[in-house]
Amino acid sequence: MAFSRRSILQGLGGALALPALESTVHAEATKGGGSSSNGQTPLRFLVVGNPLGMHPPNFFPQDFGRDYTISRTLQPLEWAKDRFTIFSHTDHGMKSGHGRELAFLSGVLPETSHAFAEKNMSIDQLIAKHIGGDVRYPSIHASLQTGIRMVWNANGVELEPFTDPQKLFDYLFLNLSDEEKKTQRQTLARNRSILDAVAEQFAGVKAKTGAADRERLDQFGTSIRELEDRMETRRNWVDRDKPQFDISHHFEGEATIINRYNAIFDMVAYAFQTDLTRVATVAFPNELGYTDVNGVNRGYHACTHNGKDEQVVAELVAIESFQIEQLSRFMKKLDDVDEPNANGSMLDHTVILFGSGMGYGGTHSNRNLPILVAGGGFKHLGHVDTRNAAGNNMPLCNLYVTLMQRFGIERDRFNLSTGAFELSYA
Amino acid sequence: MRSLFYSNRIAKAFVALSLVLFVSYSTVSATDHAILQQHCGKCHTGEEPEGGFHLELLGDGVTAESQEYWQASMDYVSLGDMPPSEESNVTDADRLQIAEYIREMILKQSRTPNDRFRYPTRRLNNREFANSISDALGIEDPGTHFPLGNLLGDTLHDGFDTNGDALGISEYHLEQYVESVRKVVDATVLSGEQSPPQHYDVPARLLRMSSLGQRTTRQESAIRNEDSLEFRDMRVRMYFDNFREVPVTGYYRIKIRATGIDRGYYDSAETGVYDGDPISLAIHFGDRKRTYELPDNEVMEIELTEWLAKGTRVELSYPTDGLRNRGNGNFKFQQSIAHDHIKEHDPDLYAKVVASIKPKRGGGRVLSVSHWSHWVDYWRGPRPRVYGAEIDGPIYQTWPPKRQFSLVGESPISGDAEAILTPIAERAWRRKVREGELDPIVRLVHDLQPDIGDLEAMKEGIVAIFVSPSFLLINPEDGSPAERFATKLAYFFESTLPSERVHSSIAAGKADDFDALCDSVARYFTSGHADEFLIEFPHAWLQLDRINFMAPDPDRYPHYHRKDVSADMIAEAKHFFRHAVETNMSVPEMLTANYSFINADLAKVYGVDDVPEDSKLRKYEFADHRRGGLLGMAAFLTLTADTMGTSPIHRAVYVMENFMGIHPAPPPGDVEIQEPDVRQAKTIKEILKAHVAQETCASCHRSIDPYGYAFENFDPVGAWRDQYVQSVTEPEREAKVTNKSRKTAPPIQLPIDASATFRNGKAYDDIVGFRKLMQSKANQEQFVRCFIKKLLIYANGTEPQNAAEVEKILLKSAEHDYRIVETIAAVLDSPLFREP
Repeated sequence: MAFSRRSILQGLGGALALPALESTVHAEATKGGGSSSNGQTPLRFLVVGNPLGMHPPNFFPQDFGRDYTISRTLQPLEWAKDRFTIFSHTDHGMKSGHGRELAFLSGVLPETSHAFAEKNMSIDQLIAKHIGGDVRYPSIHASLQTGIRMVWNANGVELEPFTDPQKLFDYLFLNLSDEEKKTQRQTLARNRSILDAVAEQFAGVKAKTGAADRERLDQFGTSIRELEDRMETRRNWVDRDKPQFDISHHFEGEATIINRYNAIFDMVAYAFQTDLTRVATVAFPNELGYTDVNGVNRGYHACTHNGKDEQVVAELVAIESFQIEQLSRFMKKLDDVDEPNANGSMLDHTVILFGSGMGYGGTHSNRNLPILVAGGGFKHLGHVDTRNAAGNNMPLCNLYVTLMQRFGIERDRFNLSTGAFELSYA
Repeated sequence: MRSLFYSNRIAKAFVALSLVLFVSYSTVSATDHAILQQHCGKCHTGEEPEGGFHLELLGDGVTAESQEYWQASMDYVSLGDMPPSEESNVTDADRLQIAEYIREMILKQSRTPNDRFRYPTRRLNNREFANSISDALGIEDPGTHFPLGNLLGDTLHDGFDTNGDALGISEYHLEQYVESVRKVVDATVLSGEQSPPQHYDVPARLLRMSSLGQRTTRQESAIRNEDSLEFRDMRVRMYFDNFREVPVTGYYRIKIRATGIDRGYYDSAETGVYDGDPISLAIHFGDRKRTYELPDNEVMEIELTEWLAKGTRVELSYPTDGLRNRGNGNFKFQQSIAHDHIKEHDPDLYAKVVASIKPKRGGGRVLSVSHWSHWVDYWRGPRPRVYGAEIDGPIYQTWPPKRQFSLVGESPISGDAEAILTPIAERAWRRKVREGELDPIVRLVHDLQPDIGDLEAMKEGIVAIFVSPSFLLINPEDGSPAERFATKLAYFFESTLPSERVHSSIAAGKADDFDALCDSVARYFTSGHADEFLIEFPHAWLQLDRINFMAPDPDRYPHYHRKDVSADMIAEAKHFFRHAVETNMSVPEMLTANYSFINADLAKVYGVDDVPEDSKLRKYEFADHRRGGLLGMAAFLTLTADTMGTSPIHRAVYVMENFMGIHPAPPPGDVEIQEPDVRQAKTIKEILKAHVAQETCASCHRSIDPYGYAFENFDPVGAWRDQYVQSVTEPEREAKVTNKSRKTAPPIQLPIDASATFRNGKAYDDIVGFRKLMQSKANQEQFVRCFIKKLLIYANGTEPQNAAEVEKILLKSAEHDYRIVETIAAVLDSPLFREP
């Protein structure tokens, strides 16, 4: 399916001549040490995920190396062949079945998370935490209809995405009137007072608590403190105007999932460009109807259980290609923008992780996950076989260690990692 | 003998306890369970015991560490899975003896210290939150302005929304709670002056129909008459143009004049609407919904008075599961019914319409005569006709309104904050407020008062009460036993905080012991106070949420989609459960009863034709011994099936987990699972045979599979089949997509083999034999044990940790012929529920 030429033209290019960087404005105002203010170029992180994996014979190329032949599903990315790496034979070593894809971004399932210091915190949250309060929004999450449960915070609690592009837009770009700002300041102040009162009453409750309840009460206490912190940050941002953006052209005519995903990715691109945030995730859920995509009549999940029926496999591949087309469109968009004060395009300063915590829904396999890393200034390797000499799959957490290090996080371990994957960058 | 003590729990416990076990290996040199040594020792000893289970894991007796192993041992032995017949000559009598020995050992488990019965506190789920805040504030529901719409959805765990681990809390949750609570309080305690009532007259011309698309200029999808507006499309909603949303919070009196017309005008096979079903009209106030059955061709005046929050939208809809029977189910295809009917019955009109068909403007093509667009105006399907409405409001009998008065009094001042807030906090926190505990909140009210005034400050105090952990968490602290018990009891039956009724009945000793509890439980069910339990427990236990996770293929099973049959299936299961409880059935009878509750849509699935043509569920006895009870229900058969086919494994796992209380381990990650291939002429049994021949798979599948093969005669929607019907194409070299569509050969039929043999040697030929085996004493007992555990998971939000106490409940239940009421009473009387 082709994208409307018009939406591509209107999306980013012309409309966004010289957007002001949010964090620069902020840094000037607060003399804070945001990385862009000290002359460094921001590095951003986007995860694009689905819960059902990819049809393997159509996703993985037949041959390895930089000079591989592009696979059918990845065809929309042909233009950027040297800008991404496909990783074969990497996974979290999970058993088969649905539900284990929740571990996509951490390698850890919610039910076993208590054994890990960072619970099942997903890598995007880890990176967002590292970036900290330099930006207005630590991270943004989008999907349509429902999420796919891939983002988890340090408490092991799931963060739910925006599932309505309009709401995401309001959240990211809508400026408040003076009256609304005043109300918001008041609300923040009132909520602050309520939290203070609750925190004090909570202390009394905690003193009366038995051993069995302590852990959950600690969680509650942490939540109060973190919300107080967050309100503090928010109060700092209330008075500052957000960058202007227009996505209305995506909402003209019938609302298809195609123009709604276009809108989502455009908003993420612009939020990156204006430094509203540096971490984002976009999900393609199982429950969403993909029938707007050419050639699709069935449910996404139903298509994975195709019994190898050609017609149904074709529908599955159409859904998966749609996801890759969206990714490609986003990458193109970033690549068309030069990174200010740095070499290369925005794509070279944005790490993109595409993949799933499930290998392939048809077999319920959670091995051999479909994983692709793009941009980020990496020296990409084409299609790599990550197995070691003994023929064992590489823990996906090894790659996550590499990504963390790319963000300047000084650590060499992450959950199930056994090392780091060698991927150099310029 | 292969494995089998390899349940999920054991696998987990194995890792967690390895340290402890290491110690026990060295201290307990030899276990002396002679009967176990004799029958199990051959396989479960030595360097590499079968299934990773060594008899020494049992230790000398049941302890906190070893009880998982004892429990699993009992499960497998009582089911007859162990010791297996295939490699020994154990008799049923031997197994019974072994099971009895294990049970005695479990019952001997030394009484653990009190705190072992403590379950960790958990957050209220969204259902409980909505009920609790409403009851604490004395309002009918949280409000009609979707005040809870911003709350995060609850995560289910094995179908249960009460699981403490899944109900996390984060700063994000907390923030949403603050926002939601404030919205609820704002629509309950009104600030400002009393608004005078207004009268809104809504004549037919001001009735409007919403649109499906984003374009509002499109012609509305409705039939508009001089004096009324009729639903043509059941997907859209009607609203009042001069009353689009409620301007001020308060009571509104709403009168609507409507009638049902043209019921039975078309053949119901065409419309999908049964002649026996009255035409209904639903009135939506936000997410509050009232449904009325309209009389035919006779104007009904609906009058209702509702407390509506500012911003609420009032909308009408036409609830029906019909009108999707033709074409692709899109509404415009209904118009072809009109075409066919007129063509057959009214040739004059037909000729007239045909003559009026002109090419589209601008020289476009001429649409065929049968095209839907020509027949839109002639649609005469069953539908509600609405003549108009009148609305009066806001109406207040008193000012401030009664609900406000009873919360904060006539005009509260901040100096009275403690007196005003204490009773609210005691309801919300389900306990007495401690000395000085409210001080921070009272101070909040005092601090805010100068800026925002007395009433607004008091409202903030109320918000704080509901954001407190004492409200949001169930029993987070050591309160008085009576208060804690009242809370658990109320959440178990009513999913809300304990009312005065609950407190006083506990104070009156009506929950003191088993006998008193039997009466109380029975009273819960006869008084209607346990409705929440009757609806939510079977939903969770039977995992009904999964039903459309993988819906049957729409092309092959159109009836399922066009009549919204999954809703009927869910209703059947819940109706059956309610019936079982209300008649105090014996628990095992639920599994294999020879009847269920069905309507015409389900009758079509079940291949039954002697039920009335309507949607009402009625008791039906199945004479064929194939159906009835939980084992025969389409809900279970569908939610365990794939889109195109069925999997005996999925069904077996469902039966084991939800009826037998055993969690078989998932296949290890490195097992290559073959993807089902509908193109080959093989039955599932032939395909599975291959992997049962593999040793790694066989050890578990020999135990699992017999629980699933019996259902092979049921297709993905749960309908009976005598053969598999498969369309076979030539398998390609690789499943690469090609654009040309290949010719498919005509479907072929393969015979079904629904027989299997359990490891204890008992065999069945088909579902009839399987159902008989399920009625053995051992299986019945195992089913009751599972039911007890599910009740405890629902109540405690986690699995019961003490096998001995579960056995005691089971024994108590057995004394009473496993009657449901007595079984529930035994659960509530157990320390596993009371948490002494």
